[in-house]
Amino acid sequence: MNAHLRRTFYLFVAGFTGLVMMLAYWQVYSREALANNPENGFQTQRSISSPRGLILAGDGETVLAKSVKRPTPRGPVYDRVYPLGTPFSNVVGYWSTRYGATGIEISNNSDLSSVVGEPETLDDLINRATGGPQPGNNVVLTIDPGLQKLAYQELSASSTGRGAVVALNPKTGEILAMATSPSFDANEVDENYPELANAEDAPLVDRGTQSLYPPGSVFKVITAAAALEVGVSPEQHFFDSGAYELPGYTVHNFEGKDFGDVTFTRALAYSINVVFAKIAVNIVGAQRLTDMALNFGFGDPYDDFPLPVSGSSVNSLPPEKWTTGTLAQTGFGQGEVQTNAFEMALVAAAIGNDGKLMEPRIVREVRSPDGIILDKPTPSVRRQALPPDTAETLNEMMQQVIIQGGLTDAEIEGMKVAGKTGTAESGNGEPHSWWITFAPADDPKIAMCVMIENGGRADKGALPIAARLMKAYLVDGV
Amino acid sequence: MVLALLVTILGFATLIFVQQAASPPLIYGAYYAGTLLVLYLGVRVLLPHSDVLLLPIVTLLTGLGLVMIFRLTYDVEGAQKLALTQAVWILIGSGAMFLLVLFFRNYDRIFDYKYLLAIAAVFLIASTFTPLGYTVNGARLWVDLGPVNFQPSEFARIALVVFFAGYLAEKRDVMAATSRSFLGVELPAIKYFGPVALVWAASLGLLVFEKDLGSSLLFFAVPLLMLYAATGRTAYVLLGGVLFSVGSFVAFLLFEHVQLRVQSWLDPWRDPDGTGFQILQSIFNIADGGLLGTGLGAGFAQTIPEVETDFVFSAIASELGLLGATAVLLAFLAFTYRGTKIALLAEDDASKLLAFGLTAMFALQTLVIVGGVTKAIPLTGITLPFVSYGGSSVVGNFLLTGLLLLVSERAGRREAEGLAYKDGRRGPP
Repeated sequence: MNAHLRRTFYLFVAGFTGLVMMLAYWQVYSREALANNPENGFQTQRSISSPRGLILAGDGETVLAKSVKRPTPRGPVYDRVYPLGTPFSNVVGYWSTRYGATGIEISNNSDLSSVVGEPETLDDLINRATGGPQPGNNVVLTIDPGLQKLAYQELSASSTGRGAVVALNPKTGEILAMATSPSFDANEVDENYPELANAEDAPLVDRGTQSLYPPGSVFKVITAAAALEVGVSPEQHFFDSGAYELPGYTVHNFEGKDFGDVTFTRALAYSINVVFAKIAVNIVGAQRLTDMALNFGFGDPYDDFPLPVSGSSVNSLPPEKWTTGTLAQTGFGQGEVQTNAFEMALVAAAIGNDGKLMEPRIVREVRSPDGIILDKPTPSVRRQALPPDTAETLNEMMQQVIIQGGLTDAEIEGMKVAGKTGTAESGNGEPHSWWITFAPADDPKIAMCVMIENGGRADKGALPIAARLMKAYLVDGV
Repeated sequence: MVLALLVTILGFATLIFVQQAASPPLIYGAYYAGTLLVLYLGVRVLLPHSDVLLLPIVTLLTGLGLVMIFRLTYDVEGAQKLALTQAVWILIGSGAMFLLVLFFRNYDRIFDYKYLLAIAAVFLIASTFTPLGYTVNGARLWVDLGPVNFQPSEFARIALVVFFAGYLAEKRDVMAATSRSFLGVELPAIKYFGPVALVWAASLGLLVFEKDLGSSLLFFAVPLLMLYAATGRTAYVLLGGVLFSVGSFVAFLLFEHVQLRVQSWLDPWRDPDGTGFQILQSIFNIADGGLLGTGLGAGFAQTIPEVETDFVFSAIASELGLLGATAVLLAFLAFTYRGTKIALLAEDDASKLLAFGLTAMFALQTLVIVGGVTKAIPLTGITLPFVSYGGSSVVGNFLLTGLLLLVSERAGRREAEGLAYKDGRRGPP
């Protein structure tokens, strides 16, 4: 009888072996296929059933995004909550199981989401070994929460309520504020998405990074930089007759003024189109003007920046095919020149930082939930846009824009301020209002670009807003 | 034994750590550990020669079951107390086993009552047709006895194994003898085969009408295996196979629930949100586990209906992965191995058959339910021994273990007393 018992036992062993093989089939061989099966909702469920990491502002304390636990009959799920809402939504983005994700939420998803990848700290390893729902890592941004909030308030209270502010530390490239208006509340994306996506004023689009506008006279700093490189001195004299006739195109000054005999510095301060058109056509030329714009980051889509940026462009045609009319218009930032507040803020920052264009950064560091720093990029130079001495000269000229130009609003007591206005023909309603600035000019702590869509004259639209923000940051310390 | 308890405690500690659950798991974890340790020591004292591995395996499996049940239900509305109830059942099971071990050391006596036991088993099964019985999930398996509800088939099984063991031990020689042949297959005398077939048919018929497919399968296969072991005649197995095929086919044609089961096994994708939902969720969860598992508490096994009973293995595979699930299967195999060994070493035929029958039932039950949840075979709703939630099942399996221990004690003592080891091979001529 024992032989029969043994035989039956072998049968059982075979059965158990079969079961292990069956398990291996499911758990190893067809795992991938099953995980991606449309009937399988685990991937979505996993994304909401474990807490994502925090997104923190530059002070390391202000919480911009967090996961909040909510019990359900099928176990707890985590809702993504954005405590500060709209002013930060364009940067932080949203995380929706229905409408996808944007902003830092998607660019740094691998940091924020839990699990995946090798454990990075001992605590992480223990957590994983014990298998709890592990929160993702925390992402600390460079954004100054006070400045960002103030910038958004200023924009939404502006004449059109449409515009963008980008501010950064010129020496480190850290973005201090990146506000856009109108914007949206990331907390309400699930409810309002169709409405937001179809809204005429495009609240889901970041006007500072994703839209492109003609810059007008703020572009003159690039023309000026090119001219200084060719050898034009700030004291060199130019004659403004109020008009500059070219084949098929005549340049006029803003509001039809003529200034007569002016220095180069004064031409920048008064933003004289005729002089800059002449400099572009007669002294700089298309190639050098284009090269200087590219030096400052035109044509660069900033792919390594976490948020999507539309690359600025000078012209759709290569420089050698430009007409003199095109060249003249480009010289004062009209024609086909397209840029945004992000790019122009970087231009201002590079001039203030001795010509060094720092790598723009918005993520300061990534920390594990228990506070260990996992990743902390260091400031790096993206490009030497200008030789330091040229940058210094241009810096001085931009200070004169405020002094000689009588832009008293832009002055900040006790420090030198540099800036440049832009009132750009939009071809559609009021001109766009631009202002780029950095201060203190001899040791800049902040560079900023304010752009108000159809905001009218620079000194009435963008400049006062920027002035208040600069003072708030530098003097009051928001 | 210590290892088994450590594993269980680690499991609970993990859950507490992970889910910030309050203290209840610790309290009944300690209480569970105490119960089983006392039981283990008690058995060592009462049956010093019995198998040393069975109880630690039982401890491991029930402990794992408790952890999983707790993990799956602690935050589910209306089911938070399930793990506590299970712990109480483990206590009752341990108590029942202890009494069994205490009073039935001369277990041979129960073979004298084998016919009575058989009748009792049939009545137990039939009791679900009385007004006390009621239906859960389409199967009429339950009897309401005031304070407790229980599943009589869990106990009837054991009674029937005892009956078959006693009867076959007595009649196996005559049953092995050929009296006539039919279509070249030699058939045993109907006279001796009669009682077996009768009890067999009675229990099977009842179970089929109760729509309990899992138990029907066990009730059919275990006596068949015992018959084979007793007589060594493959004819029985062949006959059984034919009967099984015919029976399955008839059941398939007659009963809608059988058709549904087969259909959702062959093609669950046809109705992924309906009939195929349970098995698909099971497969998704198992696949989700991968090689190492999601970790305790990190899986989604709660999406499977009945996960804490029939589908507890899917949850284990999901959260402990292929490695963990294989380890659990090895524990079951180890139990089967010890059971078979006990049967091999047992002195007399009745003990042998008893140990073997119980072991076979245990092993088959595991194979059938794990095979079911992994879609290797059509799903039949039975519990995973010791691990699944279910009072009757736990108590029944403790009794089964008790009987195995009793059988092993005798063989062990015989060996210890230095008596000549006798193989006991007195098979058919």
